Amino acid sequence: MTITTRMKSLAFGTSLGLFATLGAANAQETIKLGLSIPLSGAGAIWGKGSEFMCKKAAQEIAQAGGVKVEGKTYNFECLAYDNKYNAAEGTRVAQTLLNRDGVKFIAGSLGTAPVQALQSLSERQGVVMFTTAWGSSIKGPKFPLTFTQMNTAFEIIPPLIRYIHGLHPEAKSVAMLNPNDATGRETEGVSKKVWTDTGVKILSSDFYERGTTEFQPIAARIASLKPEVVDLASLPPADAGVVLRELDVLGWKGVKVIAVGTGVDGLKATGGNAIEGVYMGAAVIFDGPTATSQQKAINDEARGVLGESLNSIQIGFYDSVYAIKAAMEKAQSIDPKKVGAVLADVSFTSFYGNKVDFYGTGTYGARQQMRLPVSISQVQDGKLVEKSRIVPEGN
Amino acid sequence: MDNLKLPWWLAGTAFALAATFLVRDAYIASVVNLIAIAALTAASLRFVMLMGELNFATAAFVGIGAYATGAAITILNWPFLAALLLGGVVACLVSIVFGYITLRTKGPYFLLIGFAFTEAVRILYSKSSALGGTSGMIGIFPPAALDAWMPTFIMAVSALLIFGLYVLERSDFGKILTAIRDNENVARTVGLDILLCKIACFAAASFAAGIAGSLHAFANNVISPGDFSFLVAAFALAYVKVGGEDNVVGPVVGSVLLVILGSYALGLGGQEHIFYGGAIVLAVLALPHGVTGLAKRGFAALSGRGR
Amino acid sequence: MQTTIQLILTSLQIGAVYILFSLGLTLIFGVMRIVNFAHGHLFAVSALVVAYTVPWLASGGIPVLPAYLLSVLAGVSVAMALGFLMYIFGFRGFRRDMVGSFILSIGLVLLLDGILLKTFGGAVRPVPEILPGTVTILGAAVTVQRFALCVAAVVITGVLYLALTRTKLGKALRAVSIDHEAAMMQGIPYNRMALAGFMIASALAALAGALIAPVTIVSPVIGADYLIKGFIAVIVGGLGSVPGAILGGLFVAAIETFGAFYFDPSSASIGIFLLVIVVLLVRPKGLLGHG
Repeated sequence: MTITTRMKSLAFGTSLGLFATLGAANAQETIKLGLSIPLSGAGAIWGKGSEFMCKKAAQEIAQAGGVKVEGKTYNFECLAYDNKYNAAEGTRVAQTLLNRDGVKFIAGSLGTAPVQALQSLSERQGVVMFTTAWGSSIKGPKFPLTFTQMNTAFEIIPPLIRYIHGLHPEAKSVAMLNPNDATGRETEGVSKKVWTDTGVKILSSDFYERGTTEFQPIAARIASLKPEVVDLASLPPADAGVVLRELDVLGWKGVKVIAVGTGVDGLKATGGNAIEGVYMGAAVIFDGPTATSQQKAINDEARGVLGESLNSIQIGFYDSVYAIKAAMEKAQSIDPKKVGAVLADVSFTSFYGNKVDFYGTGTYGARQQMRLPVSISQVQDGKLVEKSRIVPEGN
Repeated sequence: MDNLKLPWWLAGTAFALAATFLVRDAYIASVVNLIAIAALTAASLRFVMLMGELNFATAAFVGIGAYATGAAITILNWPFLAALLLGGVVACLVSIVFGYITLRTKGPYFLLIGFAFTEAVRILYSKSSALGGTSGMIGIFPPAALDAWMPTFIMAVSALLIFGLYVLERSDFGKILTAIRDNENVARTVGLDILLCKIACFAAASFAAGIAGSLHAFANNVISPGDFSFLVAAFALAYVKVGGEDNVVGPVVGSVLLVILGSYALGLGGQEHIFYGGAIVLAVLALPHGVTGLAKRGFAALSGRGR
Repeated sequence: MQTTIQLILTSLQIGAVYILFSLGLTLIFGVMRIVNFAHGHLFAVSALVVAYTVPWLASGGIPVLPAYLLSVLAGVSVAMALGFLMYIFGFRGFRRDMVGSFILSIGLVLLLDGILLKTFGGAVRPVPEILPGTVTILGAAVTVQRFALCVAAVVITGVLYLALTRTKLGKALRAVSIDHEAAMMQGIPYNRMALAGFMIASALAALAGALIAPVTIVSPVIGADYLIKGFIAVIVGGLGSVPGAILGGLFVAAIETFGAFYFDPSSASIGIFLLVIVVLLVRPKGLLGHG
């Protein structure tokens, strides 16, 4: 262990400290919003879109005159780091955001493992955190400053499955497939329960490793069970497309469900015509009658940057910024604890165009879930068509 | 056993520990923790390189150590030090079994089997609901009293183990390892049980890797299967290569440089990989003996001119 | 019986790609004694170029099959150019240095990951159906595209096998891979052979990428999954052995298929790793490995 090595780490520390103080001195009118998202690997596209939406909301708010608290005007700045979907990198990001950049509001975080890492720091430091992570263990009275920015399996799956069952009461058996990760496991638990409660028999429920590229074997397995319904609950769109195409080749016909499917672009890219008739519960439709001109404009811009349409995960990063703004103005404070305390009571206009507030006492024991509409849609002639829109009740 | 350069070790360690006393900024503390854990992992990897093998299972043993500690704390409620030690011991025991099977192979086979093992172990964690499945384990906290002193503690444990590996390297055992690397058959002719020596080397390195994993768990409080992909070993190798593999200081220098570079690169968002990957490629192409090799040559050139 | 035929056919289809992949890995190892983790990126680059150019050419009025063939040419050229750069500026200095070449390849993996993501974006690219329809073989359904892929893989493997056993270059490559010093003493130019081996391997990866593009999920991370399977295939078969690579590729594909069918896909992944351990326990140099 040479002395020079240690000197370097010391010099590094000092310079970092200097940067931090300099940063604090001129950041008076800007409030930094931290993002912990994947910016590399398979999830990169979700992360990029999330960053885009956070910035979009921040830009709109700035143009509309900023956030007004006690006579002062603040603007938002989005600060995103790559959490690579794991806890170790999630910890690095959390340390960087909270302890280096002095962020007090996390406008969004993606991926259960890195979100848990972030949460273990954010709750202790009194930082408000929005997340798309689904685990019911992530919310509740134990974590008063954590809020969910999108519909999760708990919100989406019960109304979706009931709806499908109403249309296809003759379908009595289902085969399920999920990726082997936190989202997949969580979704599987909910779907299994709801299908069983509806009286549909579960023939199989399998998992595969994310990053898998060959889906023929699992398609062969599913087809051989001859289910009346196939529920590709939380498969990423591109994976789901491949599975549906392979099932089609094998001659399987039945009710196709991607319970928490988020969009049709990736699905169509790999599934071709085999995706006809698929039901989805988390897709956002930009070419239907329900889409507003503002939604279309933002989506067109996003398509230029990302190469595909926005999905509900990314849109959550837009809504959370407006939620934070609403809470700051209601609390007349930028202290995260005070803002967090009023967040459950604010309502704001979401990207979907309606007023949204927080609920979730029944499921999570605290109002930490945005009351977003659940949109049930179906692929018809290669296009998504909204079949039903349900605004959840309760508080 | 020849000169261990003890004064240098004492001075270096004392200096490192003194530096951690000064660190009161939470972010810098986290970077210091990363450096100490990275250095220990890299030293473990380098120790197996002494016998000429590239041990990609290092990543798996770091993970096994972290998960053993995590289970001991959150499920069994073991005391801190016992849980820390358990990480090393479990990694060591698993490595003996794994080594007994795989150390009969050599070179690329051993490298790739370690790689496969790492990925398989990772899938196993994700399938075990007791170990938190894919979302991992949370709440692995050190005692509250130690909270403020974690950088010092981690640095001390790391320095102690690196020193331990160094002592082994300079001992007769270390010479046997070098002999195995140079020519296994010659070493066998003098009556050495090569497989046993290899397993011993592997087990010692894996103990250190396991402790690195325990420290990782305590430093982050949260672990997930994704933390222990083969990239852990790939980065450890980068630390060794960039720092220089010829001496024990190399991995330490490499860890300091690359972890700091990595902390900077994090701010580049999507370009992080380009920057970090580019840095490794450049270092490997431009510095065949690493930074310490360069420093040594520079020093030799300077003193040569002085004369 | 029906199921078994379907599963065997599936194994062969998946195995075809693994074989092309592992042939390249085994060739590079044989000639240069290096382990190249960036091999998967050559595959990804080729697939991405194809996925970009087919829709582009098709929108310009060119029928889809010629458009695809042109794209394959473009994809393979780009990937081979990348392979050439990798060799000239990188691996040339690391021949027979396993550790050095390996760390270089890890650096390249990170670098190329970032560059591919930046160049092509993370969105999945649709490739239009080149050869529509399905055929029925012994009562099991296979798409025409998959069938064509298998035929192409068999032809490529056959050509490579003949080239290695019959041509002067092939014999020289094999000589170098068995004992490079003895080969050099016979007057075989090692430097040229190393380059030739590396470029042939790059071409194999590029062809595999171009062939699989119409039937899979084309994104910048596509190479990783095939790379891991390809490496396992060559360990099982024996590094440096061409028949070993073929055998290994089929073996991995079969375990993947039957494992996923009778258990579930994520258990099949563990099964593949267990298989490697068992094989190495019995034969430390792989099934058909030598020296």
